[in-house]
Amino acid sequence: MNSLPPKAPPTHWEAFDHPAARIARDVAGGAGGWRGELLHIHIAEAASFEMEELPEATCVAGRGIEGDRYFLGTGTYSPKPDVREVTLIEQEALDALARNDPPLQGGPIVLAPEQHRRNLTVRGVPLNHLVGRRFQVGEVILRGGRLNFPCKYLEELLGMPVYLPLYNRSGLNCGIERGGIIRPGDAIIPLD
Amino acid sequence: MTARIIQKLRVAAVQASTPEVMLYTLEHPRKPLLPAWEAGAHVDLRLPDGRLRQYSLCGEPGVQQRWQLAVKREEGGRGGSAWLHGALAMGSDVLVSSPRNNFPLVAGARRHVLVAGGIGVTPLLAMARSLAAEGADFTLHFCARSAELAPLLPELRAACREQLVTWFAEEGRRFDPALIGGPEAGTHLYACGPHRLTEAVRAAARALGWAEANQHYEVFQPTLDENFKPEPFELRIASTGQVLLVPADRSALEVLREAGFALASSCELGVCGSCVCGYRDGVVIHRDNVLPVAARQDRMTPCISRARVSVTLDL
Repeated sequence: MNSLPPKAPPTHWEAFDHPAARIARDVAGGAGGWRGELLHIHIAEAASFEMEELPEATCVAGRGIEGDRYFLGTGTYSPKPDVREVTLIEQEALDALARNDPPLQGGPIVLAPEQHRRNLTVRGVPLNHLVGRRFQVGEVILRGGRLNFPCKYLEELLGMPVYLPLYNRSGLNCGIERGGIIRPGDAIIPLD
Repeated sequence: MTARIIQKLRVAAVQASTPEVMLYTLEHPRKPLLPAWEAGAHVDLRLPDGRLRQYSLCGEPGVQQRWQLAVKREEGGRGGSAWLHGALAMGSDVLVSSPRNNFPLVAGARRHVLVAGGIGVTPLLAMARSLAAEGADFTLHFCARSAELAPLLPELRAACREQLVTWFAEEGRRFDPALIGGPEAGTHLYACGPHRLTEAVRAAARALGWAEANQHYEVFQPTLDENFKPEPFELRIASTGQVLLVPADRSALEVLREAGFALASSCELGVCGSCVCGYRDGVVIHRDNVLPVAARQDRMTPCISRARVSVTLDL
């Protein structure tokens, strides 16, 4: 009962076909030698739905995370072709918001993992360096397609002024190169 | 209409308040608390076909463990309430938005006059509970056909005690809107009910000299017109005097982009607010879900909104 019809069939760009990734592929750089951890997995079945935390999730190459709005084609931005199979955000960025650092906000903003609407909350992963790069989350291989950017829609949903504070640390939109099961605690390592 | 988180809630109790009105208690299936809310707030219930219906929360304000809302079956309505009555049973799930409040109590007012008609009593019951809890001075006039058909009557009696005045037509008692009395400093008027009742209250308030700022009416806006048919219109650019034609099948944003105006954009569905820009004259048909009403006087969302005939943009 009450399941919503998909707004449109899911349209995902192959991550490295995104203009941002295409350019980044040919530019040297990126950070190596790090090892991060998957802290939380969240999905929502449709646009604006509250995020639900999962103890494990199935990633499907070219589609997304099973049950998520961008897997189902029911997301706010599903009708727009883009790289949205999986989105990630750094716990470090959330920690910075919570200490009002830099002080662009009225005060500390505490954004719980279920509130930021990215699928994976990670620690120790330099997401801004991973556009055009491959990396591994547990057994799954992801491709960084483009930087995520905050949107006024999120501010509205949350009723919190997060737009400016999240700028440039809003995470990474990825495609799935190799699917599989992921769980909180999985190691995240760079591949190239 | 602004974006709100939607939760899948579980029906924890169903109770017939009158033969036409069901009282539903909703809880989160996994979380102990729902979002906070204040008296006057309403939520959107989403029907299976995606349409939204607004219902005021009528439980105890401040209580976050559960929400209560009352739904009157509207025969000859658009079908939403009939579906809810048929589909909602103990244990069933329903999609509910976070609350928004367009009908709040005025903090610090000295006295509150509440006028309810029929099912329009739902936000006013929450208000009465709130006011009674703080020991505020208030009167609630409740108009209905009869005591049997008056929704939430026991709850109202318990909340209001002698501050409830009932006007049941079958008992020959008809509410005279002049009973709201003349305006007094710090007194606020709140009305919710059938259009005829709120208009009568509005007329009486005007005749008695009430200030606009002290009158509050809950009117649920119809949702976005599903039959909207785009028409072509002209965009005039304030800085250059250019005139651009927006055909019926294209958005203003597309036409602007083609003409070299690099507006930021993201969703192109009227929800993210990236492309919002200012306008001067013209009648804009606002179709977005992002701009608050107050901002619509001089701001528009060109990815989705249009204009009648012509609009001048501050570009």
